[in-house]
Amino acid sequence: MAYQTSFLGYRRPKGPAATRNHLLVLSIVGLTAPAARRIARSLPGSRLVAAAYGRGQLGGDAITYRRQLVGLGRNSNCGAVLVIGADRKTADAVATAISETGKPVEVVTMDDVHEDALALSDAGVRHGARLMHMLSRQRREAVPVGDLVVGIECGHSDATSGLVANPLAGAVADRLVDAGASAIVGETIEWLGAEHVLARRAAPGVAQAIVDAVMRREAAAAATGMDLLGNNPGQENIRGGLSTIEEKSLGAIAKAGSRTIQSLLALAEPPTKPGLHVMDGPGFSPESLTGFAAAGAQLMMFTTGPGNSFCNALAPTLKISGHPETASRLPEQIDFDGSAVLAGIESLDQAADRLFGLLLDVASGSATWGEVLDETDEVLVRLGPSF
Amino acid sequence: MECPVTSPVWSAVVLHPADDVAVALRPLEPGPISLRSGDAKTFEVRAAIPLGHKFALRDIPVGADVRKYGEVIGIATTAIARGTHVHVQNLRSRRAKAR
Repeated sequence: MAYQTSFLGYRRPKGPAATRNHLLVLSIVGLTAPAARRIARSLPGSRLVAAAYGRGQLGGDAITYRRQLVGLGRNSNCGAVLVIGADRKTADAVATAISETGKPVEVVTMDDVHEDALALSDAGVRHGARLMHMLSRQRREAVPVGDLVVGIECGHSDATSGLVANPLAGAVADRLVDAGASAIVGETIEWLGAEHVLARRAAPGVAQAIVDAVMRREAAAAATGMDLLGNNPGQENIRGGLSTIEEKSLGAIAKAGSRTIQSLLALAEPPTKPGLHVMDGPGFSPESLTGFAAAGAQLMMFTTGPGNSFCNALAPTLKISGHPETASRLPEQIDFDGSAVLAGIESLDQAADRLFGLLLDVASGSATWGEVLDETDEVLVRLGPSF
Repeated sequence: MECPVTSPVWSAVVLHPADDVAVALRPLEPGPISLRSGDAKTFEVRAAIPLGHKFALRDIPVGADVRKYGEVIGIATTAIARGTHVHVQNLRSRRAKAR
């Protein structure tokens, strides 16, 4: 079958095209979050990311937190960024890292307004308004499917996830990779028991890194007294028919499809070449999705059994379920109903073709339910306590 | 005996050609069912199998690897007869055991 090779996206000065054209209101420290919320409320249609932290962080925690903030700003779905900070130096550093992408970035800080939050709000609204006015003049045009970076996540799994929704996402991941696009699968802990399968499919030098990443998580859990293999699969999994950790994890990694794994990414680390990538990240899906968005994902596929309402704020998030009752029970949440595969009336390949079509339709501007309802957020990972 | 069936609807699926088990797409009672494994075929199930649970496609000896998704999901802890339920009572993790 010949697949669609382009979608309607926004071209960017550098890097991949975008599926959306947001103004990002990016508050990089908790001090300016209230003013940032006021600014975003005054700019309907803008996207707000108001970091709760951003100061008093050390080492890997500080580095990872900053990488997420900069990565969200660099995401191509943000056509322009308004950086809001407390001090000039930090805000300028973030803005400079974002503006390497060639997109317009403006900065307002508490330093500039002598700690007056209302004056900060006024300056932010004016700068933001000019950026949004400019963005409204950009138009979609045909761009290659190969520009897409798609994050693949699962949340609230059940017996149908490993049978339908995850293999469906995997089949679409294969189609994306074959078109020259990138796909990212995260949630390191879900590889436990199937890490050797991922390792076997990895490019040279990547296999051991994948196994090591799982071992690190297992050891970190063990250090807190938790045995990840002790009661895993859990009772609910066992009732659903999953017998072993290998079986559970194979069902989870089915969403990675079957292509070669090009690299193991750190949280929020952008892939440097097209193809399939795995991200060493948290299993909590809001954080995992933010990790993908900060790595440049402009779209997400999110598989679920009984439903899961949470979507990423910057990247449209398609909710996919194979459970026969979920799509009819949650008509304003589930974007793709794969239950015909479970019913035995549609093959997985036929359903994957339909899902690939929908994905490109959303890439071209059709809204997901999560976008219509703004059931979205960004949740940044912290790796340590505040200093 | 396996033979093609004309119904487009199947009750269980084999996820990979190398698999030793199929997965029930609806609650199954003992008797003939339609199985999707490339083409649809009939297959004799010999136990009640809940939705999402597995049954053996062939006789599996004790100690043998059991495959699903084309990969080993565990080891048979007893001999498992073709058509019967494969689950925690007769299948054990290799990963969990290896620690």
